Amino acid sequence: MNRALLGLSPSMLVFLYRRRLRAHPVQELLAGAGIAVGVALVFGVLLANAGLTGSTERLVRALSGSARLTLLARSPAGFSERLTDKVRALPDVRVATSVLRENVTVEGPAGRQPVQLIGVSPSLSSLGGISQQELGNGALLLSGGLGLPGGVAETIGARRGGRVSVVGNGARHSLRVGAVITSESVKALAGSPVAVALLRVAQRLTGRHGRVTQTLVVPARGRTTQVAGELRALAHGRLDVETAGHELQLLSQATTPNRQSTSLFSAISIMVGFLLALNAMLLTVPERRRFIAELRMQGYDPRQILLMLAFQAVALGLVASVLGVVLGDVLARTLYHQVPSYLAVAFPIAAEQSLSVSLALLAIACGVLATVLASLSPVFDLRPSLPADAVFRDAGPAGGLLTSAAMRWCGLAGLATIALVGGLVAVAPAATIFGGVALALASVLLVPPMLAALASWFPRLSAGSRSGAVILAASELRAISTRSVALGAIVALAVYGSVAIGGARDDLLNGIETATAQYHSTAGLWVADGSNVFNTDGFPVAVTKRLRRVPAVSSLRVYRGGLIDIGPRRLWVRARPIDDPTMFEPSQLINGDFKRAQALIRHGGWAAVSSGFAREHGLTLGSRLVLPTPSGLASLRVAALTTNSGWPAGTVTLSAPDYSRWWGGAEAMALELDLRSGVAPAAGARAVRAALGPGTGLLVQTTAQSAARADASAREGLRTLSDISTMLLIAAALAVAAALSTTVWQRRARLASLKIQGYQAGQLWVGLLLESVVMIAVGSLVGAAVGVYGHALAAHWLTITTGFPAPFSIGGVHVFLTFALVTAIATVVISLPGMAAARVPPRMSLQE
Amino acid sequence: MSALRLREVVKHYPSGGETVRAVDSVSLQIGPGELVALYGPSGSGKTTLLLLAAGLMDPDAGEVSFDGRDLGGMSARESAAYRLNDVGFVFQSFHLMPGASALDNALIKLPVCGYTLREARVKTEPWLTRVGLGERLDHRPHQLSMGERQRVAIARALVGEPRLLLADEPTGNLDSARTRETIALLRDVCHEREIPGLLVTHDSEAMSYVDRTLTLRDGRLLDGVYEELPELSTSARP
Repeated sequence: MNRALLGLSPSMLVFLYRRRLRAHPVQELLAGAGIAVGVALVFGVLLANAGLTGSTERLVRALSGSARLTLLARSPAGFSERLTDKVRALPDVRVATSVLRENVTVEGPAGRQPVQLIGVSPSLSSLGGISQQELGNGALLLSGGLGLPGGVAETIGARRGGRVSVVGNGARHSLRVGAVITSESVKALAGSPVAVALLRVAQRLTGRHGRVTQTLVVPARGRTTQVAGELRALAHGRLDVETAGHELQLLSQATTPNRQSTSLFSAISIMVGFLLALNAMLLTVPERRRFIAELRMQGYDPRQILLMLAFQAVALGLVASVLGVVLGDVLARTLYHQVPSYLAVAFPIAAEQSLSVSLALLAIACGVLATVLASLSPVFDLRPSLPADAVFRDAGPAGGLLTSAAMRWCGLAGLATIALVGGLVAVAPAATIFGGVALALASVLLVPPMLAALASWFPRLSAGSRSGAVILAASELRAISTRSVALGAIVALAVYGSVAIGGARDDLLNGIETATAQYHSTAGLWVADGSNVFNTDGFPVAVTKRLRRVPAVSSLRVYRGGLIDIGPRRLWVRARPIDDPTMFEPSQLINGDFKRAQALIRHGGWAAVSSGFAREHGLTLGSRLVLPTPSGLASLRVAALTTNSGWPAGTVTLSAPDYSRWWGGAEAMALELDLRSGVAPAAGARAVRAALGPGTGLLVQTTAQSAARADASAREGLRTLSDISTMLLIAAALAVAAALSTTVWQRRARLASLKIQGYQAGQLWVGLLLESVVMIAVGSLVGAAVGVYGHALAAHWLTITTGFPAPFSIGGVHVFLTFALVTAIATVVISLPGMAAARVPPRMSLQE
Repeated sequence: MSALRLREVVKHYPSGGETVRAVDSVSLQIGPGELVALYGPSGSGKTTLLLLAAGLMDPDAGEVSFDGRDLGGMSARESAAYRLNDVGFVFQSFHLMPGASALDNALIKLPVCGYTLREARVKTEPWLTRVGLGERLDHRPHQLSMGERQRVAIARALVGEPRLLLADEPTGNLDSARTRETIALLRDVCHEREIPGLLVTHDSEAMSYVDRTLTLRDGRLLDGVYEELPELSTSARP
């Protein structure tokens, strides 16, 4: 038999780990739960983000098939479908097919939902691919009816063969549901807020007879560039020629702020998960150190011990991470699964969730890495300079005591990080998200010195107290272990995330609400298509004659606008009537003179432009701005720089006459009505609805109603951030409470000895609660303080880098509520095990 | 046949700003088949001497050798190999795995030596039977008495057929009857296998059962003379 040192066999590794699991199931469970929670939060967020762009990409590809190029209209009015015939006649074009896309609202027995109506012709199937064939052939099957995705049908209570109302272009039409599209038929469409119809039917519903908004083109092999040139020639500078997947770039740009902020939350979540695992691992450090020393005594090689530790960490990390991925998938499908309606205005959004293998593997790898790092501390005992038996002589509580020097260094590192972040963001505002992650780390680093400060103050504060509970809490708080730091750090992280990002979200909501209030304040009533809050879909102005005759109406103005693509941005164009009280919202002005800008825009040839877009194109006050319009390139000058008024890609505000000159057409996107003096808004709205008649497809709202509807859309768009923030807080509070409960339970022998000394159960219980509350409060305060700074940076990023209206204001109520929520949850959860621990029989201290 | 030799061995410890000579110019030799007790009060340097013999620390001066091989200056891997292949170590505090049975605790060294778990269990069982635990192979530590746990630890030390036996206060938690049994077992093993054994103890009861006694006081050996010392406290290891 060979007595030389050999590697550990897999069965031996499993043997050792199984023995460990049998001895310490609770600690392993806690550690695994910590990792699972962190991975679930991260994966859920990543999946939801990917779900939006990934499924939209599938939808866009489903529509465009093998098309390489597309001819795009620059206004909702579209272009003549005869142009598609000309495209088809080009020698290097293999296939050309027309598509009409317009926002409408479908109403059924159970409700209504805005959707993007897509009119296709059977020739779509020529683009190739299963989806295109299904769509093209399916369009035939629709036979004059409407195809609704399963989700939409369920929402409005529609079924195949039943009838629904389609409201668009100011009119209402009744239509049969020809098909309900499920994932078994056309997977890409199944979860999208779209509706499909034959092109002719879509043209009839939208009033766009003979018009289309897009031509999809399949060039001959190797002739794409040439065909693109030919298309541009046909377009005569009045249409856009883009790649077929161009919309995905626009969507990516529009969702960048959302993705970046959820990525910040992901980073915080993985830190929380790591700290939870670390805390649970630290529970077992004394026992693991002794076991490792024992193995060394028995002759185990340090490499073999490392292998054993690594095996156990990887095994635990794998199981916990897989569980976390499953949980994260559930989160993504339930809590985070939503289609932001404000984006559905401008893009064919899909949010069909499907498990991404690459994201899952990434999340699992992060979870395993976090587990391995959390398990590392016993490895330091393998240093050659450390005698193996030193472990047996080691004193101190489980988790090890932190030295004063270590705590000082942590504090200095934390403060240095904060200072560095401030400098970095001042120099490179785009690095704010990275700065946000660094601040999260800083909040962790500041916990040890704060606990140390508390450890020295609290005994002094309580020196005069006769309360046994206070004395007990003071003595426990004096011993600052790595575990208590880890627990405090978890709380600090969670509170930091909530305060920083929650605060920025509140600023954004406040900014958008101010903007929408001012946007809608120019009229007493708004009449619009109703399919979206940005008023980008037109309807015939003929209705204005009827409305001017309504006695309650004193004046009426036609508002116009739409969406245009410039580079990677799909900008929101707002064209105000020149007799509007204001041409743009005063609160949104960033640069320029408000009165002068108003006058210039009214005069014509000038526009207000959002700062993000301006910066990208090097525009300043007075610069020339070139906009692609259906009439060609429009040249305007910049009168003012503004925020993006809540539309991520940015806005351009010009006068309605300028818009009419360049975009042509006579449609209105909204009507602004002023009411006569003494007419209440509600009464005026009723009168206007009556004048429009029951078959109207137009929505009549008061100023307050219009603004509220826009605000609701903004809140819905930010709901994911709110949900993530709340989940993180609750998960952290529960996990900390569970960890503290375990710590408390482990101290029963010590509590029993206090009982022998004369302490009563009630005193012990209150002391335990007080200690826990104080520790959590320190973490919360650190997190809140750093969080306020993070909030300020995030607000700065929102306004300067992304151009959102997000005036910074410290939300004291939000900070307090965050603090209170975490403390309350943790205290409630700890109270029961704390009570049980406090009732330990005194004789327990005399047992081995 | 192997012998353990220490020649003019010195070992220092820093303590409170001063340097304490835990072992002060100690020379001794333990031959094959001999069980030697190292007796002395707490803080006399007994455990330090034991750790030097186990290759767990290097002397500051002098030489520690086993079977002619100098143990000083070994690398961590060489030191581990020495303990794995040559040394059987018995601790006072047992350090058994709480989640493992008596059998699995005792076999812990063998898989590293190349045995499969099945082979290791087969090899270990007779040793547990020899120490009187044949009926308690599947019992976990919390199901065993203190004496039974100590016997598991002894079986663990012997199952690898060591060439040197080191025991640190192996009877510290046992009553006098168990003490006699344990020391007798260790002596029998040393005699049977003709291996040297060094037993650190401050239990005077153990003296009767060893082949030779050395007394250590303040790090110095009293030339192999057993000196009756005052009533000693049963304090923890130095």
